Amino acid sequence: MKLHIIPMLLLAVLLSACSPPQPPQLQQGTLLPDAKVIADFQLTDQNGKPFTRKNLAGKWSFAFFGYTHCPDVCPTSLSMLAQVMKKLEPDKTPGAKPRVVFFSVDPERDTPEVLAQYLPYFNPDFVGVTGDPQQILQLTRQLGILYGKSPGESTDDYLVDHSASIILFDPDGNFRALFGTPHDPDRIAQDFVSIRNYYEASR
Amino acid sequence: MKSFLVSLLLYSWTLLACADPAIQVENAWVREAPPGAQMMAAYMTLKNTGSSDVTLENITSPAFRMVMLHKSVIVDGVARMSHQDSLPIPAGTSVALEPGSFHLMMPAPEQRLHSGDQVEFNLRFADGRTVQVQATVRKKP
Repeated sequence: MKLHIIPMLLLAVLLSACSPPQPPQLQQGTLLPDAKVIADFQLTDQNGKPFTRKNLAGKWSFAFFGYTHCPDVCPTSLSMLAQVMKKLEPDKTPGAKPRVVFFSVDPERDTPEVLAQYLPYFNPDFVGVTGDPQQILQLTRQLGILYGKSPGESTDDYLVDHSASIILFDPDGNFRALFGTPHDPDRIAQDFVSIRNYYEASR
Repeated sequence: MKSFLVSLLLYSWTLLACADPAIQVENAWVREAPPGAQMMAAYMTLKNTGSSDVTLENITSPAFRMVMLHKSVIVDGVARMSHQDSLPIPAGTSVALEPGSFHLMMPAPEQRLHSGDQVEFNLRFADGRTVQVQATVRKKP
């Protein structure tokens, strides 16, 4: 009789070891049920070097879509992301440190030179990406990021309406999670750790 | 000590030369712009302690060639800035110009402003009253 129990127990142990980790409960972020693979794109970073889907891989990346002529929402979001980075700084787990990538939705005015001047103010490691408007459109469409010009005081003083969400790419370069507004640096940092642990456990 | 207190008062209140004590301006500050930024924003709290409604109609500043009253709004996740022709402040209420909401938008001057600099704004209200405000440039999230 006892002999029958042992294989059953073994089976139960094996099954529990195989059951997939449960998705974390997030405070602010929305985790995609399945990471979304993004089509390749050809853009340029703030140093004039190519920035493609391949550059997105290898590290966790927080992506924000804005423009440097934006005086209120964009500096607030970039400062907030700088705070998130500071909160995650003590975590020395290999490969754990994310980076911030600022994608311009105003490539006509945001040249690599402008981004190279603008971004280090928030954090010297922030990456700026700009380039062909069609390529930016193609990328943002896959992420549900919307933007469009709206008239300003004069023709060259136009404003750009844009999604305020922050996108999280995993180290495979896939769209993994989304953070809507209002953004809180503590919650985003904590959610990031939960998402990263879940990702590591699911591999 | 005395001068410290005075400067502290000036710094935190930024309340100056009100033609009418019914309109008070507090916490006026300008966000220090990152290098290369073409636009800047300023924030303050406008308090109407009087018994009649007032409407802010026009803002000028010797430091900027143009000052616009804007409001950031997030609709369905999309951030927009909309131009405001005026800003009503009903009697006994206050309106905050703050990040992500109402703010003043100015083209950045050629000479970059730095944290600690003082900037003057002149607010003109619909009834003709003017209020002069000293705002401090700050580096702030």
